[in-house]
Amino acid sequence: MGMRQTTLSVALEVKPESFDHLSGLLDALRDRRSQNPSGGTGPFADFLTTVPAVHFMSLTAFPGFDYDPLFVIEANFDGAPGPFWAQLEAAIGPDLRAFLRCCKRPLDHTGPLFDAVTAPDSRAPIAPYLEARTLTPTVYHHGNRGMTRDRILDESKLFLGTRTELAQSNDGGPSPYRKLTPVEIHAKLRAALLPQFGWLDQKAPARIPFTQSVGDYLRLAWFVLLVVFALSIPGLVLKSQLSWQWYVALCVGLFALFTGILYRMGKPLPGTATPTRFSFLTFFLRHLLVPVAIAVAAYVAIAATLSAPVWSWIGHKAFWPAWKDMAIWAAWSGASIAVTVAGILVWLRWLERRDASQDAPPVDPKMLREMARREDWIPQNHMGSVVLIKPGVLRAILIRVGHHGLHLLLRAQKAARNGYLGSMRTIHFAHWARVNNDSRLMFFSNFDQTWESYLDDFIEKAHAGLTLAWSSGVGFPPTRFLVKDGASHGRQFKEWARHSMAVSRFWYSAYKDLTAEQVERNYRIACGLRKKQLSEKEAAAWINDL
Amino acid sequence: MDQRPVSEGGGTPNWHLSAPTNTKAQGLVVSGFANLPTGRALFLEFSWKGVKKKGGGAWVEALRKVAQVTDADGRDPRAVAMGFTWSGLQKMGLNQNALASFDRPFKEGMFQEDRLRRLGDRRGEEWQGTVIPGGPKWSGNTPLDDAAVDDEARAFDDREEIREQRIKTPVTVHALVLLYCEHDEAAEAWCAEVSAALAPFEVTVSHHLPLDLRLDKQGIAREHFGFADGISQPIPFEEGTVVYKDGTEVPKDYWNGVPLGEILMGHMNGHNEIAQGPVVADGIGDTSGLPEHPRGVGFKDLGLNGSYMVVRELKQDVYAFWQSMRAGAAYIRERDPEGSAHVTTTWLAERVVGRDTHGNLLCPLGGTIPVENNDFGFWDRDRHGHGCPMGSHVRRANPRDGLAPTPADKQTLLDAANNHRILRRGRKYGKTISVPPTPDDVDRGLLFICLNTDITRQFEFVQQTWILNPNFAFLYDETDPLIGPKGTMTIPENPLRRIIDVETFVQMAGGEYFFLPSMPALDYLGSL
Repeated sequence: MGMRQTTLSVALEVKPESFDHLSGLLDALRDRRSQNPSGGTGPFADFLTTVPAVHFMSLTAFPGFDYDPLFVIEANFDGAPGPFWAQLEAAIGPDLRAFLRCCKRPLDHTGPLFDAVTAPDSRAPIAPYLEARTLTPTVYHHGNRGMTRDRILDESKLFLGTRTELAQSNDGGPSPYRKLTPVEIHAKLRAALLPQFGWLDQKAPARIPFTQSVGDYLRLAWFVLLVVFALSIPGLVLKSQLSWQWYVALCVGLFALFTGILYRMGKPLPGTATPTRFSFLTFFLRHLLVPVAIAVAAYVAIAATLSAPVWSWIGHKAFWPAWKDMAIWAAWSGASIAVTVAGILVWLRWLERRDASQDAPPVDPKMLREMARREDWIPQNHMGSVVLIKPGVLRAILIRVGHHGLHLLLRAQKAARNGYLGSMRTIHFAHWARVNNDSRLMFFSNFDQTWESYLDDFIEKAHAGLTLAWSSGVGFPPTRFLVKDGASHGRQFKEWARHSMAVSRFWYSAYKDLTAEQVERNYRIACGLRKKQLSEKEAAAWINDL
Repeated sequence: MDQRPVSEGGGTPNWHLSAPTNTKAQGLVVSGFANLPTGRALFLEFSWKGVKKKGGGAWVEALRKVAQVTDADGRDPRAVAMGFTWSGLQKMGLNQNALASFDRPFKEGMFQEDRLRRLGDRRGEEWQGTVIPGGPKWSGNTPLDDAAVDDEARAFDDREEIREQRIKTPVTVHALVLLYCEHDEAAEAWCAEVSAALAPFEVTVSHHLPLDLRLDKQGIAREHFGFADGISQPIPFEEGTVVYKDGTEVPKDYWNGVPLGEILMGHMNGHNEIAQGPVVADGIGDTSGLPEHPRGVGFKDLGLNGSYMVVRELKQDVYAFWQSMRAGAAYIRERDPEGSAHVTTTWLAERVVGRDTHGNLLCPLGGTIPVENNDFGFWDRDRHGHGCPMGSHVRRANPRDGLAPTPADKQTLLDAANNHRILRRGRKYGKTISVPPTPDDVDRGLLFICLNTDITRQFEFVQQTWILNPNFAFLYDETDPLIGPKGTMTIPENPLRRIIDVETFVQMAGGEYFFLPSMPALDYLGSL
């Protein structure tokens, strides 16, 4: 049975007077766990066994610029939060309590819990407080979805086992593998490894259980229907008040007006244009036209079915005539969605053209050096960032609806389920969450390679999606229609991102030399080896991964 | 002038800079001076104490009389290029704010602790195997900056101060002068002339290297291991500025085109921004020859048409290289006596490089792409590296479209890769080894030189994310087999990949980031 991965964070306000002290405590915890900054030989070994659920975890203290400092626990682990918090408390309970004592007493109902946990000599369990303060991510992404930590570690051992077997079989003489066909190599390798890796005889657990997939698709479908409904409300109201001639005339007139304005306003402001291959029209025709048509049709059918009984009761009609009335009404309103969307885009573009972007966000050289000191010891790195959210009604709606839609899409879209964002698969766990009463947006990522290459990937390979998710941040480089330009302003975007970051003082990775790609490679090798026999075609593909 | 070395024939015509940029940029930008086969690299140290308040640039003026820096407007009988380290500019008395306006990597120096780790030279307290024993000989010895320690007093701060280690080399380099001429005697005499001209100004040659193209009979410039060198360069484009010899515009090259701002400061770069350079406040010194800065009101542009020059002295152990190739080939034959008839020492060395010794690219099924053809991707013709191995040096140095996960991503990945190109201007130093190679004590190698405007995104990215990345292209735990540390290399073949051990053959003996000023900026520095 596949186990669900959980990604969450806990953000706690810090007493400003205790910020430096807390930073020191986090550094001390890190130093105690690891004398060698690169990890050395198993310095985290105890952590690996005492917190067996964890994949990646970070403890960060964000300095206070706009608000008081923020202490954030970011955790990515297998299974439910309850057992994880219990494991973590068993492992570093006294430290956690010391960190919490540096935090402000919350003013909401969790105040008494905080008092109980932080009282002198308190032995009250910490987990309930952390659970009560847990934030739900608005968007998260898993690069190796459905892979439990132990499975990742087991398959990594298997991979190393294949290498040893292939390198050392009949050491000093001809390798018995070289004269075999891929099918035979598979059979021989499997036979050699089976005694050591008995689990190869078991059926591979499904990474994403069927019920979870169904849930992913249903949630996305439900979300799309709700959005279609919301967008059709102006049409529903107008159509109920106007004859169809007036309604059509109004829709066509407004649509022409909006698109005319968009044509003029859609052009980039001087100096902010970046070349892109992305075209809305192509994207719409290629990827959206069919789904939108289906969604509108489904909406019409469902809306009519749900409202027909009411209408048949009010209007004293039989069900089917009532259904037909309702369907016609919904269809008319469905046709107006294009007008509503165009109107929202005019509003958005009006805001975007007045957005104040920050050309040169200030970056503190000392903070930057502290980050550099901790980065690039292993092939993975970590970043945590907090930015202010742009004000306004439309922005408030867009960040909620946009993030939720992006979240559901990442769970349902095939490439994202396979770990890809655009053409990159370098993220293990990443998430966004709102903090400080929804006025700031927090981003955490555990990624492969360097911070520079990660940001360059965003700039060069996934700028549209990233701009969509982050352009609601104050000072973000100038953006068009939420996805264009924005992150394509390379250095400006990088400085903006750096400026929003804090030092990842404590960061833990359970498999520090495995990239997301390597986890998938090990998975493919293991899947092949679990099978008793491969076809010629399967073996030819499988052997490329060895 | 030739922008590409002799080994690369045919293909696209050479690019030039149009007026007035051609008289503003140094000649090294557009040319490797392939018509001048001999050269010298003179590493200069300023022996005066502290920072000069006045007259710090007098030596530049004196040097002008014996070795005038070449501009980019055509071929000269002799050529000179010149760059400065941050510590050199500081000693010459460049204004503090101007010094602060350079890019971070240049200000911090190549030997900043964290940078050395990222470049694969040093981890914590230890120099890595890819550095000569005992540590490098020379660097700019850039002083620690304010960010090195956070010792600012704050209420409620009880943290321990972390003090960054300053990593020093025995020899300090403040400036680099590259001389190019026709033959060795002339070079020797010229060096003496330059040294004599600089001596009165307390500027000494603290280290020097002879630089040679040393073409073979076929006219190919080979590096010491015996492979054609300097192949595949980025081709810059900018409307009105980059032209062919006949004045027509150089279009964006599909495979190798990069915006001019990737090479010259003050021009549009690959990330849709003007490549940043240093500035100096108007009126600090003789700023009359410098153009206005486009954004900083009251500031002059010290960077326009300049570049950053990355220099690394890479010592090559030719005997060890071929010895390791021989051992690797023998191992393959021992493990696969029946399927390895084609595996020779040279065959293996070619897989390590990714090209044959003449520079032709290895392709699947034994074919090659001729050296003069640089218009190709890896995805379509060699996706799994059965010709040119995924981990080979040329594929790591420029993966082109080869890292695309699906055919639909080829274009994106090619465009992305071209945002991380460097213009190489290196030359070899030291005597050619005997044939067959025998161990000797001769110091030989490559003086790696490359130009770029964003050191982090270009040179350092190539070194860290491609060359030394242990997980490059879905490989595991192996780095560049040619210039990386001792380790393994995977050679894809049917039915099963081969993995061999490779030793360390290339070791860094010194290095630093230099500012390659434009001609007006050089005049300004001379007026200090």
